[in-house]
Parts: sequence; structure tokens; C-alpha cells
Amino acid sequence: MSPVNLQSYLIVGAALFVLGMVGFLTRRNLILMFLSAEMMLQGVALNLVAFSRYHGNLGGQVLTLFIVTVAACEAAIALALILMLYRRRKSLDVSLWQELREPELEPIVDEAPLPPAPLPEPMPHLTVAGPEPMHPAEETSHV
Amino acid sequence: MFDGPRSYLWLIPALPLLGAALTAALGPRWLRGQSHWPCVLGSVAACILSVMTLVAVARGFPSAGTDGIRSYYEWFSAGDVTVGISLRADGLTAVMLVTVTFIGSLIAIYSAGYMRGDPGYPRFFAAVSLFLFSMTGLVLANNFILLYAFWEGVGLCSYLLIGFWFAKPSAAAAARKAFLVTRLGDIGLFLGILTLWLLFGSTATGTSRSLAMDVIFDNVALASTRGTLDHEMLTVACLLLFLGAVGKSAQFPLHVWLPDAMEGPSPVSALIHAATMVTAGVYLVARCTPLFGMAPDAQLVVAVIGGLTALLAALIAVTQTDLKRVLAYSTISQLGYMFLALGSGIEQHRLATLAVTAAIFHLVTHAFFKALLFLGAGSVMHAMGDVIDMRRFGGLRKVLPITHATFLCGAAALAGFPVLFSGFWSKDEILAVTWKAAHESEYATIYFVLLVCALGTAGLTAFYTFRAYFMTFWGEVRIPEEAGHHPHDASPVMGVPLMILAAGAVLVGITLGPTGIFGGFLEQHWMKRQFAARLLPEPGGHHLNWLLMSISGAIALGGIGLAYVLYVKTPALTDNLAKAMSGLYGWSRNKFYLDELFEAIFVRPLEGLARLIRILDQYFVDGLVDLIGQIPSFIGYLVRPFQNGLVQSYALLMALFVGGLLLATMLR
Repeated sequence: MSPVNLQSYLIVGAALFVLGMVGFLTRRNLILMFLSAEMMLQGVALNLVAFSRYHGNLGGQVLTLFIVTVAACEAAIALALILMLYRRRKSLDVSLWQELREPELEPIVDEAPLPPAPLPEPMPHLTVAGPEPMHPAEETSHV
Repeated sequence: MFDGPRSYLWLIPALPLLGAALTAALGPRWLRGQSHWPCVLGSVAACILSVMTLVAVARGFPSAGTDGIRSYYEWFSAGDVTVGISLRADGLTAVMLVTVTFIGSLIAIYSAGYMRGDPGYPRFFAAVSLFLFSMTGLVLANNFILLYAFWEGVGLCSYLLIGFWFAKPSAAAAARKAFLVTRLGDIGLFLGILTLWLLFGSTATGTSRSLAMDVIFDNVALASTRGTLDHEMLTVACLLLFLGAVGKSAQFPLHVWLPDAMEGPSPVSALIHAATMVTAGVYLVARCTPLFGMAPDAQLVVAVIGGLTALLAALIAVTQTDLKRVLAYSTISQLGYMFLALGSGIEQHRLATLAVTAAIFHLVTHAFFKALLFLGAGSVMHAMGDVIDMRRFGGLRKVLPITHATFLCGAAALAGFPVLFSGFWSKDEILAVTWKAAHESEYATIYFVLLVCALGTAGLTAFYTFRAYFMTFWGEVRIPEEAGHHPHDASPVMGVPLMILAAGAVLVGITLGPTGIFGGFLEQHWMKRQFAARLLPEPGGHHLNWLLMSISGAIALGGIGLAYVLYVKTPALTDNLAKAMSGLYGWSRNKFYLDELFEAIFVRPLEGLARLIRILDQYFVDGLVDLIGQIPSFIGYLVRPFQNGLVQSYALLMALFVGGLLLATMLR
């Protein structure tokens, strides 16, 4: 492998890492933060693979395999945790979870909160056309 | 006997120590009211061993060619100095041992009655036992450092016992005063020891230095015969040693602690005054006679301080109204006599044996009658419900017959009542020594003045002793209400020691003094061994100075007669006399304002300094420490906002710091 190629791999790895970091630091949605973290992990893994290839030993490859495995476990745990958190607050906003701060500090409240979730599209109201079909009496209570 | 005193010498201090340890360990929990047994048995056993030592020494121990020193154990060695635990038996030590342990045992037995029911009963006997251990160790030590250690032990025990009733503020203050004042002297003693070590410490081989007394004494003697002795430095060393003795033996100007030491229980006073504490200074100077003998100037200082103290203390004692205080000042005065004798024994750089033997003889007789007097005073206090002011009781000779009879023996001995009583003989020997010095010394005039002082003191002593006696036991019967309905005389456990001591106070003087037994013993078994070459031959052996004896006897009788006239016959005259001489009376009454003087010169400025330092400590040092203590919490205050509970802000900080670290590593 030529040195030029190593450089480009490294650039891609760094780009992945930085994108992931920026994403992690800026997004407030828990799932997106988690995905950003995964992206940082992949950037690192890419570096490892590239150096492994460059130096001609398989250590980096092996380590990357470990990373992928661990990332899979981590994904399982993290998604489970996020699910639990969502159930508690009915929201994925990370800033709702800041109780573990110094007791005398005020909670940080965003001045521009997330826009409220859009209401679901109202169902179209159709005019009655034709006669009402016959229902058995016990079935009407199902509606 | 086994193998001579060498085999059991170590037991003499060890037994009281064992007694102290047992009492301290078992007393409060198990022995309780029986706590006196370890102490009494230990001191009696030590006394028996001491008598055995005395007998062995009288029979010629240590035999020719040996020195009677037994080394047990190497205590420590630093550089070229080796300090061993070595004990020595010779005439002086044997006499001191017997005196200390005999008087100590009697006092311990007496205390078993006197202290009964006191909540600190075990503590008292543990401390008394420890006191005896320290004192016997002190007189046995053949090494200046060991002696110093025991010397401090004596100081510690005196502190513990004077402050025995530590809940009483005056007792606590008295204990502190005793400890601090004697400490002043101890500094001198320690410096003196160091000086001796520097000058005369080299051993025969020349490779190492020693603090052993025999080595130092031999070196001084050797340097003297060779003519290489540094007289000035030796004088300095002797004066420093004497400073230690001044503190411990309550000589002017460090005598102020002893009268206050009356705050302890009466047996403690007896112990301190007779057996264990104040005699240490006299012993030290006597032990160092080979050094003082080479330093006539130091001897002159010893004599002057001794004579001055004797007169001063006697003058103060004349007007005191506290029975025990009178006795305390009489102790100071008698110790002054002893130092006067020790300081008078020099002639042309040679030793007069008579002087040292007179001092030690007076020490022994004084131990008997002073212990007797204090125990008698204790008995009076016991009967009077702890009242000791002589103005509040009187006529007790019918109420307390045993105490009266024994106290009279002691008082007559202290006053130097002619012919029969011991104080007369020992005091007379001291006067004879001074007389001799006044005629033959190069400082004849000074010694003559001192002789006059001593004679005056003899009269005063007789006067104040019998003043106390008449005020307490004669006149109409007056009993303070604290005594209850029926004051009781000494119980047998207290009475028997009193009688034994009274017999001693009468008999010791006339049997040992004029017959020359005592002087001969010390000369034969101590002095001849230690400095045979420089002994002054006493012409015609032991002889009595009849003229001086009759003068001092007449003075003593005059003092007693005056006391009788003033306090029994015509008490009204006394008040008029006191008014007529109000100036002198006031000075004496207020102890020549020495306490006030020391208060103004030393205590106040030191207290001021202490206050200043306290302020410095409180505001400067403490402030600094507090400031340093504030730093972590200040840092915490700075960092605290970062812990806001937001995961992302943590991540941001982490990223920033890792980035900074990477940058720093790369740029370096």
C-alpha cells in the first residue's frame, strides 16, 4: 500500500471521528447522539485498520474485530437504556436528564426549546354516501 | 551473705519500682484499700537490702583492688560516648540508701493510716514507690547521665505528689511551681555534666569518652597532680552542678517552691523534706567533693549561698503561722547549714574530711527529725480536720499525747537542744567546720561572717521551732470546729512510725556523732578509697570543740527560753513586740517579698511574652493554616459549575482537555 493511500484513509477516519464528535456534542436526541458515538468509533476503527495494513501486521485488524463486537453489545445495551429513559419522560431530549449536578446549581433550561411535535394529520372527513350497511347489534360496540 | 552487695545492689531500686508498677496496675481495680502493701513491702525489703549493703561496706566491701562498681547493661552509645547502667556501693551511697529507704518505709507505713479513705489511695502509693525508686537509683548511679535521669525522676514524682490533690487549684499551681523552679536548676546540672564530660571525660585508653563518675574523678585528680588542671573551667563546671543542687535542695534564690509544696499530703512533705527530694542536692555536692575540692572559689559560693539561705529562711520561719510552712522554712534553713558545711571544707586544695562528713551527718539526723516533725504535723492536721493554721488551735498536749511527745522530740532535735538530741551534735559539727574555716581559710573574713550567720540561725531555729511547738501544744485548749467533737490521737499505724522516728531523732546524734562512728565510717569506706592522696589528716583524730559547743548550746537554750517567755508566759508582750518591730516583722511575714519579686521579674514578663505569642499563634499561624485549608475548597468552588449534570458539557470538556493535552504533547 502506498503512503498516499494511508493518508486518505486517515483523512476519512478523522472526518468520520470529527463528524461523530460534532454530532454527539450538538444533537439532543438520544438516539442521534448514540449514532454519532458509533460514528466516532468507526472512524477510530478505520484508522486501526489502515495502520494495520500499512505496518503489515494483523494486530489492528484483530482489535477492530473486537471493537465491532463490543459496539454490537453496546448498541444493544444503549438502545435498551434509551428505551427505558423514553418511557420515563416520554421524550428523547437529553437535557431532561440533568439531576446529577451540584445541588446548588440551577438546571439549564434551553431558551429555544425543541419545537413541539407536530400534531398528527387529522383524518379526512368524508360525507356519507349511500345507505348504511347492516351490522349485527353486538358488533357495533367494537367501533 | 551471697556474694556481697554486687549481687543484690540492683534490687534496691528495683523493688520499689516493682511495687510502683504493681500498685499502678492492680491498685485501682483489685487492691483498692490494700494498695499500700506493694509499696510498704517493696520499701521495707529495699531497706533490709540497704542495711545489708551498709554492713557489707562496714566489713570492708569492696575489697582492696576492686571498686565496688557493677555494670549491668549498656544503656546507649552514640559516637564515642558509651553510657552504661552501672551502680556503685561505697560508704556514702550506703549511708544515703539506709537513710532514704528507712525513712521512706516508715513514711509509707504511716501513710497507710493517714491516707485511708482517699479516692486516690492507689495512685498515692504508686507515686511514693516510684519516688523511692528514683531516689535510691540516684544515690546508686555511677554515671552522671544515669544520675541525671533519676534526678529528673525525682522531680517528676515530686510533681505528681505535690499535685496529688490536683483538683485544688493551689495544689496544681504548687506542683507546677516546684517542677518549673527545680527545672531551672536542672539546666545548670545538665550543662555542668556536659562541661565535665568535655573536659575530663576521656578514658584511660583515650579512644572513647565516658560519663562515669570514677573516670571523671580520676581524670581530675590526675590533671591536678600533673599540674594541667584548668581551674577556671572546673570552677565553672562545679558552679553549674551546684546550680542543679540549688534548685533541687531549695537554696536561695530557687527556694520558693519548697514552702508551696505543702499543698501535698503531709506524708509527701515528710518524704520530700527528709528522704527523697531535697537531700539529692546535698548528695550531689558531697558526691562531687573530688571536684569541689579542687575549686575553692566554687566552694566559697556554696558556703555563702548555704549560710545566706540558712539565715534568710530562719528569719522567714519566725513569723509564719502555718505549722507546715514553719517546718518547710526550717528545712530550707537546715539544708543551708549542710551546704555551708560542704563549702567550708577546703584547705590549700586539700580536703577536710570533717566538712563533708558533717554535712552528711546533718543530712541523716535531719532526715529523722524532719520526717518526725512533718508526720507529727500531719497527725495534728488529721486530728484537727485538716486545719493547719497555728492561730486556730492550741493546748493540744492533753488531747494528742502521742503526737505531742514525739513532736517535742523532733522539735528539740531541730532546735539543737543540748547534749541529748541529734540536731545538737550534727549542727555543732557544722559550726565547728565553719569555725575552722574562719580561722584557717584564705577567705577567713567571709567564713567568719558565715559563722556568725550560722550561730544567729541556730538561735532563730530554736526560737521558731519552739514558737510553733508552744503555739500548737501549750496554752488553753482550742480546737477548730472542723475537727468535730472528739479529736483522736494517732492510730497505731501512724503512732508507731512516729515513735520509731522519735527514738531515732534522740539517739542517732549522740550515738554516732561524738563517738566518731559516723565520721570514721565515711572516712574509712568512702573518702580514703576515692581520694586517699588528698585527704587532709585530721590532727588528733576526731575532737570536739567544747567552746563552740557550749556557745551553740547556750544560743539554742536562749531561743527556746525566749519562745517560752513570748508565747506561754506573756503572749501580750509578743503582740507589742511585733508592733514595735513592724517593719522587720512584715518583711519576714511576707517572705522578704521574694515571691512578689520573682513574680514581677520573671513571671509577669514571661506571661506577657506568652500572651504575645498566643496572639501571634492565634492570628498569624492559625490564619496561615486556615488559608491553606481554604485552598482546596476554593478550587472546588471554581470547578463546581462544570458539574451541571449535562452529558454533553462533560463530553465537551473532555474533548477540549484531551485536545489540549495532544497539542501540548505535539508542541513540546
